[in-house]
Amino acid sequence: MSARTSVWAKAGKYAATAAVLLFTLFPVYFMLPTAFNGRASSGTDSLFPTHLTLSHFSRALSSGESGGFGRYMVNSAIVTVIVVVATCVLALLGAVAMTRFRFRLRTTVLVLILVVQMLPAEALVIPLFLQMKDLRMLNSLLGLAIVYIAFALPFAIWNLRGFVAAVPVELEEAAYLDGCSWWRMFRSVLLPLVVPGLIATSAFSFVLAWEEFTFALTFLNDPGRMTVGVGLAEFLGRNTNDWGGLMAASTLVTIPVVVVFVLAQRRLTVGLVAGAVK
Amino acid sequence: MEDVTATAGVRTAPAPAGDARRPVRRTRSLTARLRPWLLLAAPLAVIAALLLYPIVRVTYLSFQRYGLKEIISGHPSFVGLDNYREALSGSYLWRTVLPNTVLFAVVAVVGTIVLGTLVALLLQSLGPKARAAVIAAALVAWALPAVTGTYVWVWIFDPDSGLVRRTLQNAGLLGPDGYNWFTDRLSFYGIAELNVIHHSYPFVAITLFAGLTTIPQELHEAARIDGANAWQRFWQITVPVLRPVFAVVTVLSTIWDFKVFTQIYLMPGGSGSNPDVLNLGVWSYMKAINQNQYGLGAAIAVLLTLVLLAITAVYLRVLFKEDEIA
Repeated sequence: MSARTSVWAKAGKYAATAAVLLFTLFPVYFMLPTAFNGRASSGTDSLFPTHLTLSHFSRALSSGESGGFGRYMVNSAIVTVIVVVATCVLALLGAVAMTRFRFRLRTTVLVLILVVQMLPAEALVIPLFLQMKDLRMLNSLLGLAIVYIAFALPFAIWNLRGFVAAVPVELEEAAYLDGCSWWRMFRSVLLPLVVPGLIATSAFSFVLAWEEFTFALTFLNDPGRMTVGVGLAEFLGRNTNDWGGLMAASTLVTIPVVVVFVLAQRRLTVGLVAGAVK
Repeated sequence: MEDVTATAGVRTAPAPAGDARRPVRRTRSLTARLRPWLLLAAPLAVIAALLLYPIVRVTYLSFQRYGLKEIISGHPSFVGLDNYREALSGSYLWRTVLPNTVLFAVVAVVGTIVLGTLVALLLQSLGPKARAAVIAAALVAWALPAVTGTYVWVWIFDPDSGLVRRTLQNAGLLGPDGYNWFTDRLSFYGIAELNVIHHSYPFVAITLFAGLTTIPQELHEAARIDGANAWQRFWQITVPVLRPVFAVVTVLSTIWDFKVFTQIYLMPGGSGSNPDVLNLGVWSYMKAINQNQYGLGAAIAVLLTLVLLAITAVYLRVLFKEDEIA
């Protein structure tokens, strides 16, 4: 009896695993054969590609007077680098303040950081659009990056808080006993130990900046300044039903994000769990 | 916000003029007291300038008539609650936009949490190789950008040559005319649910799995000896122990799913041509950015923000109650 149940349990487990893998990977899988298929005219033809080609990629990379996807990817990379660096620096300052000090209004600041995370981009895009228009910063990659930093920051501080809290205070006290100043302790003790948290923060802000759509759609109308998210929409607008080209471009957009996620894999949720369970 | 920091700094460090007996110690304690605010100054300034000030400005805008004419003249006129009256009156908000927003979010949150929990439990029961495979797959789905993910689902359901149409037609289940799944509200949102749940369940699964590994195995063994089955152990041990983690992932999922924009906007008809499928976020965007009715768009955006604020308030209470226990 128990042997039979365990066989059934095992079979159920395999079936569940297969179902999860199928649902999870299918859209990603389906993107690839369409991108590489010489006859990507219909969905069923694309399922199992027969005529492999790179022509969709070359079309995506070269099309348009703006230089196509190569240009969009460079723009996104510029924005992303600015956002990742600035978010890490600012979030670390904020997280250290929130975990290592007990001060008046600390809870207020914590609640503020939690509450601003729920502010919808749709509500902020209206005043920020008018503001950027007044400042003549529409079509500016720096203007876009500044907005992304603000959006990444509350979650980054919250997430990094867990990593900073996990560093034992005793280590800091030992550094003080050795005669370190606060700043010296911060550089030599705290900073190296929160590197995993900074990796997670970088990954999250990377993804936000790389693929953000709403603000890019609103701020950028010069094709030479577009980032990848709005670039995909622009590509589809110019080449209706060019699914091969669109999926090739989508593949190019997806690869960097997958690489970052795989590299940062172990760090992504540690901060949330540590911060929540603790 | 800079003002608040400054006053708070002064308030926490009231340096009385007569107390100059131990100047060294006093300056040290002053810097020590100011240090958190020095650290917080830059992040809080960014948050204040780009998140708090705009939310004040959008609220202010929502009481104004602010269109192309007003942008050019630079003199918006106050119209009181007119924008809210326009948004709230008529059946469009109540029959279309609000149900689209709320029902979509409820189904998406329940779907995401249930699927995420099931996958997390599955991960726990798997051997190391199968576990690594499922985690890798979940990471890839999580990493798939919202824009590209949406286009893949649109391509799968494309009414002309999509995979679903061709497969159904080959199986004889669909006539030669095909069917446009994007015009009908229910099937439109069905596809959006697939897209959003597929994209957001990995975060829940991986976070919960990380939480599951922190539960001591002895708890489960003790319960098993007491005769508890897997279902009872899940509700009596896993759920109570992981309540804070469940609370966090539910907060975040609810907030994300209420303000979903990209996944709706990029679907055929989602950017305004099919008024049946708009949600609060897209409707606000249409009015403000595409039709230059910034005042009306701002009013709708404020309504969306109020809904989210209410949800956040409920969850903040849950979170802080947990903090006291821990």
